[in-house]
Amino acid sequence: MSEQIEAAALVEAVAAFLQSIEGELSGRNAFHAKVAGNALGIVARELAQAPRVAEQAALSAYLGHDAGLDALRAELCGRLRAGQLTPETPGLLLALSEAVMAKVAVDNPRYATLARVRDA
Amino acid sequence: MPGLPMNDPPPERLAAVLARAAGDVVAVTRVAALSGGAASATYAVDAVRNGTPWSLILQCAAAGDVADGALPKADQAALQRLAGRHGIPVAEVVAVLHPDDGMGQGFIMARVAGEALAPKWLKGDGFAAARAALTGQCAQVLARLHAIPIAEVAGLALPAGRTGEARMRMFAHYRSFGVNSPVFDLAFAWLAERCGDAEPDAIVHGDFRSGNFIIDEYGLAAVLDWELAHLGEGAEDLGWLCANAWRFGIWQKPVGGFGERDALYDTYAAAGGARVDRARAHMWEVWGTLRWGLACLQLGHDHVSGRVRSVERAAIGRRVSEVELDLLHLIRFGDI
Repeated sequence: MSEQIEAAALVEAVAAFLQSIEGELSGRNAFHAKVAGNALGIVARELAQAPRVAEQAALSAYLGHDAGLDALRAELCGRLRAGQLTPETPGLLLALSEAVMAKVAVDNPRYATLARVRDA
Repeated sequence: MPGLPMNDPPPERLAAVLARAAGDVVAVTRVAALSGGAASATYAVDAVRNGTPWSLILQCAAAGDVADGALPKADQAALQRLAGRHGIPVAEVVAVLHPDDGMGQGFIMARVAGEALAPKWLKGDGFAAARAALTGQCAQVLARLHAIPIAEVAGLALPAGRTGEARMRMFAHYRSFGVNSPVFDLAFAWLAERCGDAEPDAIVHGDFRSGNFIIDEYGLAAVLDWELAHLGEGAEDLGWLCANAWRFGIWQKPVGGFGERDALYDTYAAAGGARVDRARAHMWEVWGTLRWGLACLQLGHDHVSGRVRSVERAAIGRRVSEVELDLLHLIRFGDI
């Protein structure tokens, strides 16, 4: 370990702190503390799972060349807007599903559609 | 609280408005903020009329006036009254604010008894009978609403546009965020091939979903939030009601987390609505799901842009990926 306290450990510490004061909060503050705790869960999973790497791999495999994730997304959007790609283009829906599954696994791993698409 | 006007409406001014409307002596004893959306602020108002408690709701434009092109609050109130005259369960409008009242645009309505929090009535044991009745009630309400001749709202500033224009407006909204979502672009391309360009021919509620109902033990006690009403195609309301986001996790029940599509469509047709074309209904479900995705982008943008800094809005911005996956499921499998 190069750092004693890595980012994941900090996130965990802040999440534990938020949980420890939950009982002292009420109303809107209690609700926002819960939302904040969930947001920290997203950060922890993003650090562990690196979804941008998985998304980049799915999109570059489909497009057949390497580039940064933002450039790959922009290229796909541009080609869809220009009609060069369509919902019927072979492989496109599967490649996008791969990319988005990696994101949902981080943002909301219990989202029912994630298991449904995985099992499809 | 973000989204609310700088100052809560003063009780004495509300009392004056209510006295004018009721022709009676009215005191206001409590004004409590309930929720602050992007466009509207809602308050519970406790009043006393001639010694009798009077439970009311005030809804007003968050910024004093509604945004350009949005439905003015007085027209929203008029539409709500019209819906009530056509047998649709709505909260009775008690008074409409006047510019001289100094509280911006808004109106006061009766507070309907029942449960407004969808997760409670979707899951609570005490609401089983209500849930069983609700699909049919929703279908009847929508059939009635969509059967109202649009000439009856000729005097109201309801937004209207052809389906193709509405799609292009939605696309411009998406592009305004500067975000590239290949799935959203895919969905727009999918819609462009299917949505057509029909003239509006019905009053569309525009936000008819589980979160906008008051539910009592018998089912639908009131349909709330008419602020997104517009002229369009009735099936848009059916599609929006079936978007996955409003099922609150009960995804096996496609109608709002409580019902089945066939029952919704059959009762809608039996109550005088058009026979629902499945492909058309599916198109409106994709449309509605995409529309919710843009709302997530908007809420995330509120935070990022500094318009409304909020951990809640930032977190909702991360729900975009759920919507993307729902869109892919809908387009790949024709269903969700």
